[in-house]
Order: sequence, then structure tokens, then C-alpha cells
Amino acid sequence: MSTLVLDQVSRWYGNVVAVNGISMSVGPGITGLLGPNGAGKTTLIALMSGFLAPSAGTVTLDGTPVWRTTDVYRHLGLVPEREVSFGYLTGRRFVLANAELHGLPDPGAATERALEVVDMVEPAARRIGTYSKGMRQRVKLASALVHDPSVLLLDEPFNGVDPRQRLHLMALLRRMGAEGRTVLFSSHILEEVEQVARQIEVVVSGRHAASGEFGEIRRLMTDRPVQYVVSADDDRRLAACLIAEPSVVAVALRPDGGVSVSVADFGAFALRLPAVTREQGLRLLELAPTDDSLESVFSYLVEG
Amino acid sequence: MNRTLFALSAQAVVGRRRGVVLLLLPLALVGLAVVVRLLTSDAVGVEATVGLGYTLALPLVALLAATAVLGPEVDDGSIVYLLAKPVSRHTIARSKFAAAWLTTTALGALPLAVASLVLDSAHPGRALALGAAGVVAGTVYTALFLGLAALTRHAVVVGLLYTLFWEGVIGSVLSGVKWLSVGAWGREVGHAVDDLVDAGGTGLGYAVVAALVVSVGSVWFAGDRLRSFTLRGDE
Amino acid sequence: MAESTSPRGTDDAGRSVIHDLGYRPYTGPRLGSTAIARSLVLTGFRNAFGLGRSGRSKVLPFLLLGLNLLPALIVAGIMAFVGLDRLPIGYAQYASTTQVLLGVFVASQAPVLFSRDLRHGTIALYLARPLPSAAYAVARWLSLLLATLVFLVLPVVILYAAALLTELDVSDQTREAGVALGLAVLLALSLAGVGGIIASWSTRRGFAVVATIAFLVIANGVVTAVQGIADGEGSTRVAEVAGLFSPYSLYRGLMGAWTDADTLAPPTGAGMVAAYVVVLVGLSAACVGALVARYRREASA
Repeated sequence: MSTLVLDQVSRWYGNVVAVNGISMSVGPGITGLLGPNGAGKTTLIALMSGFLAPSAGTVTLDGTPVWRTTDVYRHLGLVPEREVSFGYLTGRRFVLANAELHGLPDPGAATERALEVVDMVEPAARRIGTYSKGMRQRVKLASALVHDPSVLLLDEPFNGVDPRQRLHLMALLRRMGAEGRTVLFSSHILEEVEQVARQIEVVVSGRHAASGEFGEIRRLMTDRPVQYVVSADDDRRLAACLIAEPSVVAVALRPDGGVSVSVADFGAFALRLPAVTREQGLRLLELAPTDDSLESVFSYLVEG
Repeated sequence: MNRTLFALSAQAVVGRRRGVVLLLLPLALVGLAVVVRLLTSDAVGVEATVGLGYTLALPLVALLAATAVLGPEVDDGSIVYLLAKPVSRHTIARSKFAAAWLTTTALGALPLAVASLVLDSAHPGRALALGAAGVVAGTVYTALFLGLAALTRHAVVVGLLYTLFWEGVIGSVLSGVKWLSVGAWGREVGHAVDDLVDAGGTGLGYAVVAALVVSVGSVWFAGDRLRSFTLRGDE
Repeated sequence: MAESTSPRGTDDAGRSVIHDLGYRPYTGPRLGSTAIARSLVLTGFRNAFGLGRSGRSKVLPFLLLGLNLLPALIVAGIMAFVGLDRLPIGYAQYASTTQVLLGVFVASQAPVLFSRDLRHGTIALYLARPLPSAAYAVARWLSLLLATLVFLVLPVVILYAAALLTELDVSDQTREAGVALGLAVLLALSLAGVGGIIASWSTRRGFAVVATIAFLVIANGVVTAVQGIADGEGSTRVAEVAGLFSPYSLYRGLMGAWTDADTLAPPTGAGMVAAYVVVLVGLSAACVGALVARYRREASA
């Protein structure tokens, strides 16, 4: 049982902030790290696995900082997104090398066990260069599992894996979570995360946008009013019509033109807005969300 | 030193096409020695032939070997598989150095002695001295290029510019370059073994100390760079 | 548009429709293969100097170019201030003196043009276009050839300008510079071929660089050693034949034959000189042929 703790972790490159003040605690069970491409998921996993120094804050595994502590790898397994370039080794040799580097008492047995877990015993005698994407993914997983780590970090493990192998991989992750391991995997596809993890962490533009149980986050999102700016050829009349709509909770005229609208039920609002404007003979000039960070991203994740 | 890392690194060095070129270099040198021996009567061609091996083949072998053990893995990021282990990064650097060093010694330094024996069998001492010079210079080259490979993706070009341009072109114009020339240090050691090898001109003490400092420093630096290895996403 | 939008949720096959939103294929005139090849050559040429690529990839080619031009600029400066009655270094001799930089330039930039598309599989995008694979191979080679020529010709231009500005004999200088340009073309032809074929053979960048350098420099070293020994033994014919075995020694040999530069064992007799030219041109032709074959194989794979 291990816990990975991030405390106010930031990472910047020059002027660009890749990870911005993230605090989270990743405990036993499966955690999904969700976010669109470029949100900082890989950076975050690099920070968690000791392959990137935080610019500020600390990353600790059971109290030990992971940066520059090679001993954490006794308890930590990493499956990076990068391909294995050791194409000239056989799958078995590669996993065995990993076992030996961990200084395991019986690397041969550990290798066979890990290959069995990922269902790669049969192709293990072939060179990695000849493997399909899914097989490479599983060999990478075997190499990360060979020392029976209590923490497993996976960067986009389902990328490019065919549906059948994806199911297999998901079942494997679930089993490991059930065994009490701390498993964290990243993905930009909500459906994947939903199928495997209950606990999710959402990162958007390097910020920790949401954290918790998936359904609960979704509920919180829909309950929160969303802000829009609407403008028409007659803003005041538009405002009057909008406040009559049950989906709208607040309306304000903006000094520089347009109407700020707080919408509680986005679905109903989206249906009613065109109807209302047409009934009133108004010309709609602009509709734009003002608070586009989390909602739009999340709805993109949910619906996309 | 770690046996597994050594074996993996050795496989990376001799694997595939790189191994072919690595073998061709010493073969070309020894082949040249044989041809020259057949063409000429006495030991006329030793300087020209061995000089070629010492100033070109040896650094190129060291460059190929040192960049093979570190370059591609750092370049494509797959070195994380080796680094995510409870093994000191300095041990990793030392194991990789050992594999590259063995290659340089066997395919860079040893052929020098062989070529010298072929051309001038009357002076085995000369072969020994050239071998010694090759081992010293080969060690420093290997360490230096390993450090470069850990520092920059352009390690190969920088290494080539150092040996060919700095030591070769500039070194032939400005004699002061010898103080910062790996080749001169090695020759100094060779000269101490047998006077038939020209001295590098820096004095034995300086040469030995400089060779030691650069070798140890470079391997340590490579390990230190690995300690700060950063994982990046696919660009 | 409202009338053309069918109601959502209808899965009745007969009512499915793909709406014409106004997108249509391009039906206007298209540029031919020549234009494609020309733009490929030009882009490749710019890329060889890092133009149109990241700032960091400009550093190396321009550093090498700068180092290569430095002696010429120094010579020009000396000519201006001291005023010699002849150039301290011959036009053709210049490339021989800085051949290491030239070799490193070709070796390090050839992978830019030849390795990347092969390694990353983007070659398929080129080969899927109307351009035949042979044209692609030749276009890449031409890019490298042009870049190499710039590297070789610029110093000659600087030296020539310095010579004219210090009022050396115009006809003499023009003739010598012309010979140097001809030699530069011959050398560039073969270097571009060798660099290209090695870079397309080994797509690991660092390795291709060393292999190219090893070929150029070691071959030249071996030849020079043999020439030196043979010349010392008095067998000049052996020395001349040995010169045929590396691009740099071929260049040096022709330079010795065509200019008054003092070189080791220049080819004597019209037959030998012709052999030097034939080998140099033949080497380039063989490399281009091999490149074309390489990409044809890639296209059919």
C-alpha cells in the first residue's frame, strides 16, 4: 500500500507553465488522469516518476521525494508513452534485463511471471522489432511489473491498442487496482477512464481542474451555472426575453454591449435561444461562453 | 559496473550496421599495413600508416562506440527503461563506459599495435608503445564522447569537430593545441614506453594527469547528466 | 439551410443523406511534376542550412559555413591591408585545406534530407504524390548538391573579389577561379552522392554522420599514406593510381594537374587525368543510381 503525494507542484519552462500548483494524493486503487492533449499529463507523470524536477512544490512516495532518489523504483513501475527502441532484443530478454536491473533474487522466474500476467509468454521469443503496437504495450507493462511494484504509472496505455487487447489491458489494470496497488493511468478519452477508474483527476492547461468520483464531478458540473455573452441588435429586449426563460438564472447588460447570461440548464437554453430570438424578431449577433476553461473542456471530454 | 547494463550496451555497440563500420575501420588500417609492407622493403610506412590509425581510426571508433551506448537511447527517450531502476545513475554511466571502452580498446588501440608489428616486426617495443598510446588516448576519447553524448544530441558532430578540426587542422597550425589534445597526451605516454613513438610535447606528468582528469570527469559528468534525465512527451 | 437539414435520429436507410455543404474538389489548373520537383529541391536546399526549420537547427550549418569562410575573410583582410602581389592560397587549394569542415557539413546535413523521411515513414506522403520516386531521389540529391556548392563556391567568390579589389591580373584570376569552380562542381557531385547514399542507408542520424566521415576521411587518409609511401619509394604510377580511391584525393589530383598547386603525385598524362575525371563523375552517377534504386524499392514496398 503506497501513496503518491503531490504538494503544490508546479513546473515551468521559461515563460511557459506546464503544471500549475497541483496538489493531489494518489492512493491504492485505480486513478484516471484525464485531460485533453497538451494539458500536462505526461509532464505530471514525469514529475510523479522522478523524471522531472518540480520547479516548485514536492512529489513524494510514502514520504520520500521521488526526484533523484533511485530507490523509489523498487516500489514504482513506469510505463512511458515512448516506444521501446530495444528492437534488437527479444521480449523475454528485455523483461529479463529489467528484472536483473531491479536486483531480483530470481530474475528468470519473475520474468516468466510478468510475461504470463500480460499474456505474452508465446511471442516472448521474438524480437521486439517484430511486435505489433499492442504487444509492445504489453511488453512495456511486463517490464514495469516484473518487480511487483506497489505503484504503477502508465502514460496513455491504451493508445493504438486494438479493442480486444484494450479490454484485456483494462481487466489487468482493474485486477491490479483490486489487489491494493496504486495504479494511475493517463488518457484523453473519457470513455476509457470511465470504464476502468472511479477516481479521476482532471487536468486542463496544467491546472488541476477537478478531482474525485466521476459521476459526482459530472453532477457538480451540470449544477453549476455557465456564463455566456449574447448580443443582438436590441440587447435590452433580448435581456427581457431571456430572463423569462426557466433555464436562465441571471441576466446583466454589459457596459460595452451584449448581455451576460448565467445558464443553469445548458441543454434547454441551447434549444430555446434560437426560438426566442426568432419569435421576437431579434437578430442574434454573437453567442460566446465567457468561462470557457473547465466546462468547455469537460463537455468536450464528455461528448467528444 | 552492472553486468546487465554492460551486456545491453555491448549489444547496442556491435549490433547491426554500426558493428560493420566498427569492424571496417580497424580492418582498413591493418589491410593498409599489409599492403604497405608488401610494397616496401623496410619499415618506411610506420609513421604514415599508424599515424592514420591513431589520428583518425581510433577517435572514430571511440566516437562510434561512445555514442552507440548512449546516443540513440537518450535521443528517443527509451533510456527511461534503464533509468527507472534502483541502480545509481553513475553505475549506469560507468557500465556504458566499460562497454564502449572495451570496443575502443579492441577495435581502435589493438589494431595500432598490430599494424605496427606488421610493418616493423623488428621493434615489438614500438608496437607495445603504440598500443599503450592508443589505450590511453582511446580511454580519454571514449569518456569524452560519452560525456558529450549525455550533454547534446549533436555529440557526433561536436566530437568530429574536436578530433578532426581542433586536433587535426588547428593542431597542425598552432602547437599550443597539444595542451588540450587527447592525441598528444596519448603519444606522450607511448613515448615513455618506447622512444620510437614521437612525444606529444606536454611532458609525461601533465599528459597522465590530464588524461585521468578528463576521463574520470567525463564519466562522472555523464552519470550526473543521467541523474537529471528528463522525460518528455512525444513532440 | 434549414430545409436541407434532416431531422436527427432517423435511422431509416432511405432517408439518409449526405448534405452538400459546398465543399468540392479542386478543379483548377495544377502545376506539373517539374514544379513539384523544383519546390522540393528548393525546400531541401533551404533545409540543409536550417532555413525553414527550428532556430537550433540553423546553428550547426551556419557555424560550419562561418568556420569555412573565416580563412577566406582573413585572406581578404590581409590582401586589403598588406597588399600582396598574389593570393596566399589558391582558389582550388582552399577546399582541400578546409576539407574537414566540408566533410562534416555534408555528413551532418545529408541525414536532414535523406534520413528523416525514411525513419519517420513520411516518405510515403511524398511517394503518394504524382512525383515518381526517382524524381524524389534526384531532387533530394540536387538539394544537397546545391548546398555543398554554396559551401565550396562562397570562399572562391570571396577570394576572387579580394583579388580583383587589390587589382591583381583579371584574366589570370578569372581563369584560376574558373578552374576552381569546375573542380568544386566535380567534388560537390561526388560528396552529395556519397553523403546521400550513406544517409539513406543508415537512418540513425549520428551513425550516418560518422559513417560518411569515416568513408571520406579514412579513404583519403589511406590514399594519402599510400601515395606518400609510394612516392617515397619512387613508384609514382602506384601513387597516381592510389589517388583514384577517394573523392578528396581525386580532387587533389585534378587540382595538381590543372592548377599550379603543389600536390603529392598529381596524375600525369591525359589518360590518367581523364581517368580521375571519369572516376569522380562515375562515383556520383553510381550514387545517384543507387539512390534512385533505394527509393524505388521504398515506393514499391
